[in-house]
Amino acid sequence: MAFLSRTGPHHGTASPPPFDRARLIQWLIFLVTASLMLAPALPILLQVVVDRPLYADDWQFTLGNIAQIFQSERIGRIALTTGLFALFSVIIAEVLGIAAALLIGRTDMPGRKVMGDVLMWPLYLSHLIFALGWVIIYGPSGFVTQLIAQSTGEAPWNLYSIAGMSVVAGISQAPLAYLYCLYGAVRSVDSTLESAARTTGAGPLQVLRKVTLPLMIPSIITSTALNLVIAVETLSIPLFLARPARIDTLSTFLYAEGIAASNPNHGLVAASSLLLMTLVGSTLMLQRMLLRHGHRYETVKGKGSRPMVLGLGKLRWPLAILFATVLITTVVVPIAGIILRAFTSFLSPLVPVSKVLTLNNFDKLFADEANIRAICNTVEIALLSAGLGTLLAVAVALVIQRSDFRFAGTLEALAYSPRVVPGMITGLGVFYAAVILPPMGWLRGNIGIIVVAYVMATLPLAMGVIQPAIVQIGRDLDRAARTVGADWSDAMRFILLPLLKPALLGSFILLFVFHLKSYIIAIFLMAPGLEVMGVSMLSLWTNGDVGVLAAFATFQIVLVATLLLLARFLFKVKIYD
Amino acid sequence: MTELVLCDVSRRYGAALAIDSLNLTVSEGEFLTLLGPSGCGKSTTLASIAGLDQPTGGRITFGDRVLVDADTGAYLPPEARGFGVVFQSYALWPHMTVENNVAMSLKLRKVPSAERKKRVAEALDLVELGGLAKRYPGELSGGQQQRVALARAIVFRPPLLLLDEPLSNLDAQLRQQARVWLKDIQRELGLTTIYVTHDQDEALAMSDRIVVMRGGKVIQLGTPKDIYRDPQHPFAASFIGNANLLEVSGGAVAEPGACTVTLADGQPIHGRVPVGGLVSGKQLLAVRPHLIRHEACADASEITVEFGAESYLGDHFEQDVHVAGITLRLSVEEPQPRGTGRIWIRQQDAVVFCADS
Ligand SMILES: Nc1ncnc2c1ncn2[C@@H]1O[C@H](COP(=O)(O)OP(=O)(O)OP(=O)(O)O)[C@@H](O)[C@H]1O
Ligand SMILES: [Mg+2]
Repeated sequence: MAFLSRTGPHHGTASPPPFDRARLIQWLIFLVTASLMLAPALPILLQVVVDRPLYADDWQFTLGNIAQIFQSERIGRIALTTGLFALFSVIIAEVLGIAAALLIGRTDMPGRKVMGDVLMWPLYLSHLIFALGWVIIYGPSGFVTQLIAQSTGEAPWNLYSIAGMSVVAGISQAPLAYLYCLYGAVRSVDSTLESAARTTGAGPLQVLRKVTLPLMIPSIITSTALNLVIAVETLSIPLFLARPARIDTLSTFLYAEGIAASNPNHGLVAASSLLLMTLVGSTLMLQRMLLRHGHRYETVKGKGSRPMVLGLGKLRWPLAILFATVLITTVVVPIAGIILRAFTSFLSPLVPVSKVLTLNNFDKLFADEANIRAICNTVEIALLSAGLGTLLAVAVALVIQRSDFRFAGTLEALAYSPRVVPGMITGLGVFYAAVILPPMGWLRGNIGIIVVAYVMATLPLAMGVIQPAIVQIGRDLDRAARTVGADWSDAMRFILLPLLKPALLGSFILLFVFHLKSYIIAIFLMAPGLEVMGVSMLSLWTNGDVGVLAAFATFQIVLVATLLLLARFLFKVKIYD
Repeated sequence: MTELVLCDVSRRYGAALAIDSLNLTVSEGEFLTLLGPSGCGKSTTLASIAGLDQPTGGRITFGDRVLVDADTGAYLPPEARGFGVVFQSYALWPHMTVENNVAMSLKLRKVPSAERKKRVAEALDLVELGGLAKRYPGELSGGQQQRVALARAIVFRPPLLLLDEPLSNLDAQLRQQARVWLKDIQRELGLTTIYVTHDQDEALAMSDRIVVMRGGKVIQLGTPKDIYRDPQHPFAASFIGNANLLEVSGGAVAEPGACTVTLADGQPIHGRVPVGGLVSGKQLLAVRPHLIRHEACADASEITVEFGAESYLGDHFEQDVHVAGITLRLSVEEPQPRGTGRIWIRQQDAVVFCADS
């Protein structure tokens, strides 16, 4: 055993490096994250208290913008509308989502697998596309509305109302509630808890109501908070459905004042952004407060016990038919409507579809160079942002979870701060930052500026995929690497990163799909030559080109569907799983 | 001589002390075992030495190198200490072959490829795993994984080897073999080793010295024989060799030596005091089950008892004995008839301690 004898040459430790490389890298990650998160927020805060646009010269400090908000009767009305809309849409989303999670996750309802997949569609598509589908089918001159009006003589409903908006937003947000309840509770609830309840003589529906439902409360609270935030910041649903009826929400107000107006009132826009952020921030705060005693509802996880399937008995078929009808009318028909509209010149029950079939819309779509550019830009931006976003997210997550970096807590708070910043405002902030902060100036006029905004806005989303994956990797693995001579950065590079590959791929695909359909963040960053799909679609709507818009939407649907199928079959990655 | 010295090392978690002012010196080539019940701070001590955890108080030096000093804030990270560590979970990297697991430390030290290959092969031969170099950890048995973990920890010739319950995941038979095998390798390489276990047999069989720990403190430090034959503390007596502890009362004893105590029913027992300073009043008497006799012998106190239930343990019986409201365990070849009887305890086998220690 000469080789191991103590007299052999020692390859002990190298002399300590002149600087602490790991610490340097951690500080770098911290600084990049901090500037990315703060650069857009600070200019907005500044804009709130100055009297003219930041890019104008000699501005003065003022409290006038804030005063204007609190005095304006119009803004009061807008805030009330926003609140009502958010409330109704969240109730609809939660009721649907919870029912779906219970029925699909725990019962023997026929066709539950397919229905679960269909229910997810709205999540993969943007609100813009979903709202368009509803307008085409259920709008005042929509296909189904007209069909019913023909026989009854009057329109059966008015989609262009707060109620109409709430239904559309509620249905498009139901998948989020469904996912949280399904994975947060229904799938992980220890079925012995339920078996225990059944032994005391409770029937299956009683068990669902008395045992399973209470255990779902944390998931319900979390998804409610997220859905509230989304409802407050969504633009296209109110823009499509409420604007025609002269109803405004905070987001359409911001859009009208900040983008559409010829002479934007930046002070007012910034102040209302602040109002919006306060609303969102307090919602999330409330959620955390409510969940502070969350352990009371903690369910036993990781036991891998197969959840018990509850037999519905006589109710099996009636429930399945009811559920399928809801899904078909609210999800399948609107999307089919978009596709049908894309291939027709006109859609009305009065004219047979075969007479109006055409490829004209697609010709027009692809004839316009700006649209082609939008598609190329979008793909480029989405690839870059998804790559960089995943990279940043894993770096931040590793510092937070696997290092002794002193400011790890601050870093985590920073990384999750975009959750309180609605997407439109992220764009606005990046726009301001590019205007007044010299180092960001070079981003102006190229896609870099959108990439920065996208990476910032989706950091929490990517972290949400990566952090749970890191938890799964035992700490001893990187500790072992440290003991054989790897510093922190080597341990992360050689051990953690390779083991995180599936999560990184999942995060990349999730971000890529998200950016493909995204439009709201880029609104304030548009410039000629910088078009992205979503924003081009928004202007098609504004110009009334519904046919071309439907063609564009169809194109996007096909793109996203292809990607998701590829991811599922090629990489075995199922996002939202 | 490269000595490892722990000086007043403490680790505080909030209000709780995981280790409390630990003092310890480990000399070169020594096999030292940290022995104690779950949660007594063994892993924390080991992690402090390895650099995986930073003590909140005290100082650790290795030779003339200061590894950590809470007063000056000095702290050497684990990669700069270069000690070999075997984790309880083995912590093999699942995405690397056995060979690459072992080679990692050499790659990080930029050892040239030819020498690296040679040394990895030698290390794997040493742990008798030469044929499995290309396998992944998931394709190995628990015992094989444990050997890979050892090979990985010694291939870069660390000056100190730290092992945290390396055998606790093996079944009883494999454990016996691994114990002998591990000790052989340690002796062959002359590696200074700190070994953590809560298994007393393992500690007695392998160690040069044993540190008995409880609640983050050192209870007793000594050779296996010292610890077993001459416990200085009732906890050491009961944790190693499962001594009976009985409450008795007696007078003050200042110096180590002979003493006499009485049971609650007044029966006297002659015993000895290993450490002085015994105050009068309540005291604790420790006596090992197999040293309690049921035949008269020289220099022994006779005690009248009730024999109770026995249980069969293969090579002997364990029998309960009741006296003065307490129960003793007795290790016997043949169980005694139940009911009133007598036992004898030799003076040297009856060790008396303070009640509150
Ligand atoms: N991160 C931590 N936070 C708070 N307390 C901790 C932490 N790690 C360890 N402890 C506490 O420190 C004490 C010592 O833990 P340690 O892991 O060293 O025990 P051990 O002797 O190795 O036990 P075992 O034999 O079960 O492995 C325990 O009481 C434990 O609860
Ligand atoms: Mg331990």
